[in-house]
Order: sequence, then C-alpha cells, then structure tokens
Amino acid sequence: MSNFYVHFPVISVMGLFLAAFLVEIFGNKNKHVRYAISLIACLGAAAMTFYLIVPVFFRGEVISYWMGGWKPEGGYAFGIGYEIDGLGLFFGLLTALTFLMSVLFSRRYMERDGHLGHYYTLFLMLAGSVLGLVFTGDVFNLFIMIEIMTFASVALTAFRHGKHPEALEGAFKYLVLGSIGSSLFLLGVALLYLTTHTLNMAQIAALISSKGMQPTTLLAFGTMLAGLAVKSFVVPFHTPAADAYATAPASVSTLFSGMVNKAGIYGIIRLTYILFRTMDKESLMLLLSILGALTMFVGVTMALAQHDFKRLLAFHSISQIGYVLMAVGLGTNLGLYGGLFHAMNHTLFKGLLFLTAGAVYYATGTTNLDKLGGLAKRMPRTTACFLVGAFAISGIPPFNGFASKWIIYQAAYEKANLSGNFIYVIITVTALLVSVMTLASFIKVTGAVFFGQAPATLEKTKEVPFGMQLPMFIMSALCIACGLFYNQTIVYVVNPAVNAVTNPAKYVDTMMGEGYAFANGIGPQPTTFTSVSIWDPVFWLLLFVIVTCAVTLVAVSGARERGPVSLPEKTDSKHATFFGCEESLHSHVGGSDLFWGFKKDLKGYFKVMGNLHSGKTNDYALWVVIGVTLITLFTFVFLS
Amino acid sequence: MILINYIVAICLIALGLYVMCAKRELIKIVIGMGIMDYGINMLIVSIGFHENGTAPIYTLSDIINGNLSFFVDPIPQALTLTSIVIGACVDAMALSLVIMLKRRYKTTDADEIRRLNG
Repeated sequence: MSNFYVHFPVISVMGLFLAAFLVEIFGNKNKHVRYAISLIACLGAAAMTFYLIVPVFFRGEVISYWMGGWKPEGGYAFGIGYEIDGLGLFFGLLTALTFLMSVLFSRRYMERDGHLGHYYTLFLMLAGSVLGLVFTGDVFNLFIMIEIMTFASVALTAFRHGKHPEALEGAFKYLVLGSIGSSLFLLGVALLYLTTHTLNMAQIAALISSKGMQPTTLLAFGTMLAGLAVKSFVVPFHTPAADAYATAPASVSTLFSGMVNKAGIYGIIRLTYILFRTMDKESLMLLLSILGALTMFVGVTMALAQHDFKRLLAFHSISQIGYVLMAVGLGTNLGLYGGLFHAMNHTLFKGLLFLTAGAVYYATGTTNLDKLGGLAKRMPRTTACFLVGAFAISGIPPFNGFASKWIIYQAAYEKANLSGNFIYVIITVTALLVSVMTLASFIKVTGAVFFGQAPATLEKTKEVPFGMQLPMFIMSALCIACGLFYNQTIVYVVNPAVNAVTNPAKYVDTMMGEGYAFANGIGPQPTTFTSVSIWDPVFWLLLFVIVTCAVTLVAVSGARERGPVSLPEKTDSKHATFFGCEESLHSHVGGSDLFWGFKKDLKGYFKVMGNLHSGKTNDYALWVVIGVTLITLFTFVFLS
Repeated sequence: MILINYIVAICLIALGLYVMCAKRELIKIVIGMGIMDYGINMLIVSIGFHENGTAPIYTLSDIINGNLSFFVDPIPQALTLTSIVIGACVDAMALSLVIMLKRRYKTTDADEIRRLNG
C-alpha cells in the first residue's frame, strides 16, 4: 500500500458529489447537520488534494487512475481515466483552497437566507465538478464536468432571486451563453473522436502528434478553444460573468472567480499545450495574447464605469483573467511562469475582495457604491483585508499581485524583443496601463466604501462576526506571504505546473504505458527551468518611467477639463471640499483625481461601451456567435 | 452515404444559433438552445455510423458460429444518450428560470429584461 494516494483524486471528487446528495436527504431540516456534512466533505476533499502535493510536486510523479480498472488494451484506452499531473494539481489546489474558504465564509454569511439545504447541495456540486474537471483525463468527462459546473453556477447565481430579481436575469443570460460554449466544446469532442477514435486525452495527444493536424482536427481545435474561451469569460464572452458575479451571493462569486473561470483557463492550457500541442505556432500565440490584452483592457475600463461594488469587482476579475491568458498565450517559459503565478494570485486576492464585498453586504445590506461610505471606522478588520486585496490586485509591492504582474511584463517585453513583432510592444504597454487603471479604480472603491463620510443609514453598522473574518484573514495572510516569498512560491508551487506543461511526454506515458509518447513523436523534452529574476533594475526603471508617463498624461489632461462641480442635492458645506462630479459620493481622497481624469478622457469610449453592454440576451448571444466564429475561422485559416 | 446527416446537423446548429441571436421571446431562445443540442446529437450519432453495420451486440450463437460482422461504433451512442440527458436538464432549468422571470418582470421579452446593463 505504498501508493494508496492514487485513490485520493477520485475519492475527493466523488465525496463532494455524495455529500451534495446527503445534504439534500438529511440536511434540509437541521442546519447543523447540513453544515457538518458540507464542511466535512470540503475539508476531506481539500486535505486529500493537498496531500497530493507530496507525490506530484515534490517527487514529480503523475498519478493515473482508471475507473473500474479498465486499463488500455492493445494501445487503445477504453475506460475513463483520471490523471493528475503538476498542472492539474496546481489548479486543483486553487480549487480546494477556494471552496474551503467559501464554505467557512458561508456559515454566517448565508444564515439569513432560506432553503440553505439547496444552497449547500449546489455548492458541493460546483466544488466537485471543478475538482473533477481539473483531475480528469478524458475529454468527454471534461465536458460532463463543464456542464455540471454550469448548472450549479447558474442555479447558485439565481439563489437570492427573492430579494434581488436581477439574479434571475443574470442566471438566464449565463445559462444561454454558457450553453453555447458547452455545446461548441461538445462539437469539438465529437469531431476529435471522428479523427482519433478515442476520448482519452493522453492518447489523443499522442495520436494527433503522430498523424499531424488534419482539417477535421483543426476544426475540432477551433471549436473546443472557442467553447473554453466562453467558459473562461474572455472578452467577447465576458458579459454573463459581469451579471452573474454581481448578482450571486458573495461566497458564490468567490467560487466563480476562484475556480470557475480558472477551470476555463486550465482547459485552454491543457488544450493548447498538451492535447493539440499547437503552442509552437506563432499565429496562435498572437491570437491568445491579443484576446488576453483585449480582455484586460475592456474589463478594467468597464470597471471604471460601475456603481455596484460587486459588479465592479466582476469586471476586474475579467480583466485579471486577461493577464493570465495573455501571459500563457505568449508561449514562452517566462510567460507560463507569470501566467500560472498570476492565476494563483488572482484566486487569492480576488477571492479576498469578493469576501470583503460579502462582508460589506452582510453588514449594510447593499453593495451600491453611491449608498456606502465611511465603513473604515465601523469595520476596521474588513477594511484592512480589503486594502490588502486592493494593493495586491493593483500590483503594488510587496504584495503578490506585483510579483506575478512583474513577471508578466517581463515576459511580454521579452517576447516583443524575441519576435520583433510590434503588437507585443503594444500588449506590454497595455498591461502596464491596465495596472494603473486598476489602481485608479480601487482608489475610487476604497474612497466610496471605506473612507469619507458615512451616510446616516450606516451609522449603526457593526463589524462582521469572526466566522466571516477568519477566511478573510487567511486569504490576506496568503496574499502577503506569496508576495514576500515569491521566489519560494515559484520554485515549489508554480515550477511543477510549468514543468508538467512543457513535458507532455510524461503525461502520455503514465496513462498509455512507457514509450507510447516517444513512439508517436512526442520526444522527452529537457526540463527547462529558467530562473526568474524579477528585480532587474533596468526593468524597474523602464516600468517606472512608463507608468508615471501614462498616469500623468491621462489623469492630468482629464482633470484639467473637469466641468463645473455639481454639489449633492442636500447642500452641505462639508461636501463643498469634496469633489462632487458624481452625486452623493462622500469621498475626500485626493487621489481620486486619477479616476476622474480617466473618466473624463475616455468619455466617448465609455458611452460606446455602455451602449454595447445593452443587457439584452440576444445581443450577448450575437457577440458570442461572432466571437466564436472568428476564433474558429482564425484557427482554421492560420494554423493549418 | 450519410453526408445528408452531416448537412442536417450543421443546419440545425446554425438554426439554433440564429434563433438565440434573433428571437426576443425567452421561450424561443430556450427552443433555440434545444435545436442546437439536437444538431450536435445528430452529428455524434452520425460519426459512429457505419454502412451496413449491425447493432453492437454479440449473441452467444454469433460467437460460436464465427458470425462476427462489422458493427456500428457504440461509444458515440453512449455519448449521445448522455448529451440528450444533459440537454433535457439545460432546457428544464432554462424554462424554470423563464417562469420565475415572467413572475418577477411580468414579461418574457428579452428587450425588457435588461436591468443589468452598462
């Protein structure tokens, strides 16, 4: 019984699904029973996932598990296999951490809602499906997990429809657009089966490598990539994310940004680097980087225009996913380090920010920025946690967001240098600019929610209970730790994942038998660990100059043209000293000029974007169809 | 020749996408989702089909007599069944959301259900 842990992945996934049904059977009446079942299932699954660090990360093993013992016969995989390599485990760890924090937070956060039995059932199904998605080694099983994930997410989005009817609207849009994405993925799976006659990912990778890319395979790749892009809310497909994150309970939004869109990113990495091994194509790198750059720019600019705390965070979440996709799409080792590290950091700081948004909602009953203010004195611990998250997402040293963003800038810069393609220069500058705009947006939120004058309705606000503070503290601690010990984090956590991505031969061999990969043309590649030096002073200076120029240019030019200050309705002499462009925003943070500068400068752009995000399901469906068609056509034309 | 199957499948998928983009009535959008699913199911079943193939079942007498003829691929059929079940769940969930939306918004017109925008 030396390798008893091979059963852990399947036990943790099945345990979560089993617990989902147990909650429905036993936990509908008694709240202690249902919470105990949920907590035990989550703790168990997380513990087993974390235990896998020892064999997978430290010893470099790849764990394989065949459902029902149906091992490959005669070189063909028949059964459904689970396979956990460094990449799968990396995302599995993020998933486990996220649902663990969220279930801790949910106990007090959700206590005022009814039908909590259903909540925990859906919660556990969502957790189980994402864990299954990252552990599975079978394409069709991946599709099933995507569908369960979409169901559970949609139902959880609509969970608070009693108090907020908009939740229904968000859920419906998510379901319609999500179903286009999963249908496309299924179409890709069908086409892939047509050419390879297998569903096992390891075998598909080997067969595609030996047969080469045929037109059908290319079409399959295009549709699967488009389907996964819909699932990870890349820009033309980001609209359901903003609606769903904003209307779902905060504990669920944490799950969404921590695992659901990570699942999409995981799928894209698995698809491009391992399954089809198309990342050596310059055109695909360009496609993914441009999509990523577009995503981060549109996300952050839309965030600047928001009036709702959670909707704003949702757009930032989209924007940060853009960073990850851009970095991964560069196709370089440095890009992979930066992208995966940023994916991890995004899970930490965005989860933290959604939790603080939930705490604010719990304490005040609203997330409308215009109705909030002055919570810093009343909720000091939540404010401290929020500031940690805000600094991290804005990329301020020494928090974790800085370390990963810095690697991403370097990777994009290096790529521009190597390829001599001017587009990568633009992408590098966009990445820097988006970081500055993120900072501007968070200055606004901090001012609007935590500082300034509190409206009369919020005078009696109290700090949230300890049960809600604990997960926020843990996340904050991790944010700071990953920022201070970035080097160790990269070596021990990110490096195994990058190695797994760059060495698909081991993934194939573990599943299909020794030598199978080599026979099909996937040679053993040397492990390429390039040490990451993120404190290079030349880059420091360059970054500093560019950021300063960008900030000064945009902010100062906008601030000068600021129109006459319109005071809030109830004219109060105190308000006169505050800036008053936006009514009833009781903030007196001087740095807010930065934010106003952006808003003034990009007035026309904001108008166009606001009209584009019309809220109509048909329009969004049209965006998705156009985006999907373009991606599929692009891969078909440029990758052959 | 089963080319007609592929053509019909692609037409159904395109029709489903068209309905989702063009029809404002929520029920019709859900129908569009269904049509797209059917198109994909048809495609998957067609992929497993072989001309003159038999059902993927061997009886004992077949094996004894050595009468092992060429059969259709059973895996796509299993996939289709799974996909049909999932499609039914998606439709049920979407329709229940439409019912709730009708109750709360008093309309099923997608143009009027747009409180979340901008």
